[in-house]
Amino acid sequence: MRFHILHAATSPVPLPVRTIVQGVFPLVLGILINTTTIQGQQIDSGGNVDRRTIQALLQRIEQLETAEKQLQERVTQLEKVQHGPTQDSATQSPAHVGIPSETVAEGQSEAAPEKVDANRNLLNIRGFGDYSFHGENLKGTASSFSLGQIDLFITSDISDRFRFLTDLVFEKGRGNNYEEDLERVLLEYRYSDYFKLAVGRYHTAIGYYNLAFRHSRWWQTATGRPFLFLFEDEGGILPAHNVGVSASGEIPSGKVGLHYIAEVGNGRASTPGVQPVQNFVDSNHHKSVDLNFFSRPDAIPGLQVGFSVYRDVLSPPLSPRVGETILDTYATLTRSKLEWLNEGLVIRHAPQGLPRVFNTPGFYTQISERFGSFRPYFRYQYVNAPDNEPIFLPVYNISVGLRHGPSVGVRYDASESVAFKLQYDHTDLRRQQSINALAFQLAFAF
Amino acid sequence: MRLLRALLIWLAVVLLFDLPPHGSVEATAGLPERRNVPHEILAIIVNRSNPVKNLTFEELRKIFMGERSRWPNGHRVIVTMMEPGHPEREVMLRDVYRMTEKDYLDHFLKGTYTGDIPVSPKTLSSSDILRKFVFNAPGAIGYLRASDVDGSVKVVRIDGHLPDDLEYKLQIGGLGK
Repeated sequence: MRFHILHAATSPVPLPVRTIVQGVFPLVLGILINTTTIQGQQIDSGGNVDRRTIQALLQRIEQLETAEKQLQERVTQLEKVQHGPTQDSATQSPAHVGIPSETVAEGQSEAAPEKVDANRNLLNIRGFGDYSFHGENLKGTASSFSLGQIDLFITSDISDRFRFLTDLVFEKGRGNNYEEDLERVLLEYRYSDYFKLAVGRYHTAIGYYNLAFRHSRWWQTATGRPFLFLFEDEGGILPAHNVGVSASGEIPSGKVGLHYIAEVGNGRASTPGVQPVQNFVDSNHHKSVDLNFFSRPDAIPGLQVGFSVYRDVLSPPLSPRVGETILDTYATLTRSKLEWLNEGLVIRHAPQGLPRVFNTPGFYTQISERFGSFRPYFRYQYVNAPDNEPIFLPVYNISVGLRHGPSVGVRYDASESVAFKLQYDHTDLRRQQSINALAFQLAFAF
Repeated sequence: MRLLRALLIWLAVVLLFDLPPHGSVEATAGLPERRNVPHEILAIIVNRSNPVKNLTFEELRKIFMGERSRWPNGHRVIVTMMEPGHPEREVMLRDVYRMTEKDYLDHFLKGTYTGDIPVSPKTLSSSDILRKFVFNAPGAIGYLRASDVDGSVKVVRIDGHLPDDLEYKLQIGGLGK
């Protein structure tokens, strides 16, 4: 389309301007007209498409909302049937749909703490064991392979606040026989972090080692316990087990981290040849009492310091009663790589009516550091019982005297659950030949 | 020449129509600078019925270490952890537990054996499952990336700070506390 606006010869507008106007104006006009036409067509067709699409989507949304509402109502009905009216249906959220049913049940059981689901598997069993090969330079002894202990640690969360636990230990009996022993049998009630009550047979809260390491050798860095803390059936001189009641918990103390343990029990028997742990009958009217206080300060992670006092009255036959007092104090630092244990105690036996008191002091110190899977360690231990001590030899047939010496060894953790240990012990005895012993132990958890 | 002129004009027209509409340029000036991208912050979450709003870092650590068995409202504390391999779990082990994976397992195994720790943490397979568990269990405590938190759970302040505060320490890939 061309417009002859002005004749070239007669126009007062200069030629270049005329040329520009003649060329540009129709072009721009054409562009504008075409663009407007195209856009109009697009809007028309796009608008129709959009409207139809939007309507369809809205209808679909309505259908989905209706289906979701129906599903929610159905789930609410099913939960009410399965679990009872534990939650207000108005607060139900679809968030819990899709969680494993066991997880939901456990979560919802919190709302009714004393309910027990009989179909749930409450029993948990962990096992610990050890084998060893050992020898020493004592005449009459032979190097031997030994089956160690098999400790089945069994727990059961009976309800929200009650728990049952037991250490069922298979260990060396008389000669080469195995025997089973319920080393711990406890029903625990946990009211709060400040009060827990346990009833049954427990490890006496004397000091640190007896509570920290229990029966499993896998947990211990060394091949065995310090001889101060050997169990009664291993020739130990402490009342490591007791039957009674134990209360424990935190003491509100902020960053000091104070804890307490208070126990009352039968104490140990004092008749020769009789099982020291009085599981069923107390041989005298006196009950043993012990208190243990310790601190785990926030400022030094891994540090634990404490002391304990144990008090009982022993009644050996045909002898005066003996007041038994055991005082213990300790300071330990246990971290991922470093372990440093220090503990000292004195066992005080005071026969009634006699002026003399028999004191048996003892201590151990143990230090180890982990280098990768290897943990070398060193222990030094000492105990010194007087020669005429009235209880150890006459009642329990344990010859103590003076014994002290170092132990050095290395532990290698072959996996998360298997450890190899190699340990050398040197023990000096009063008026006896020193003992050198070497032991190789395989300890494991299962 | 005419053709050239037409082309130039056409080009000018095209450029004019392609220019963005006035006012749509994204204004970045004036917005506060964000220290953390939301999906890298680890939020500590509890059930909405839990009255706890703030925990010190030391209290948080004691709870996750199993040293706390009850909330103030009496509900049993249930600690939840994600399975190994999740970056969120790595942050918790590094910054809260200060333990390796092996030390963490040993801590709870030994704690239940000695009686110090009544219950070990519950291990869940995904953040979605963990969030739903915390929603359902009145005593549960867990953790999520801030971007995974929704209204079904409550976020707890740590040392008085919320996850989007500058002083908040738990971050995936960060230096930690």
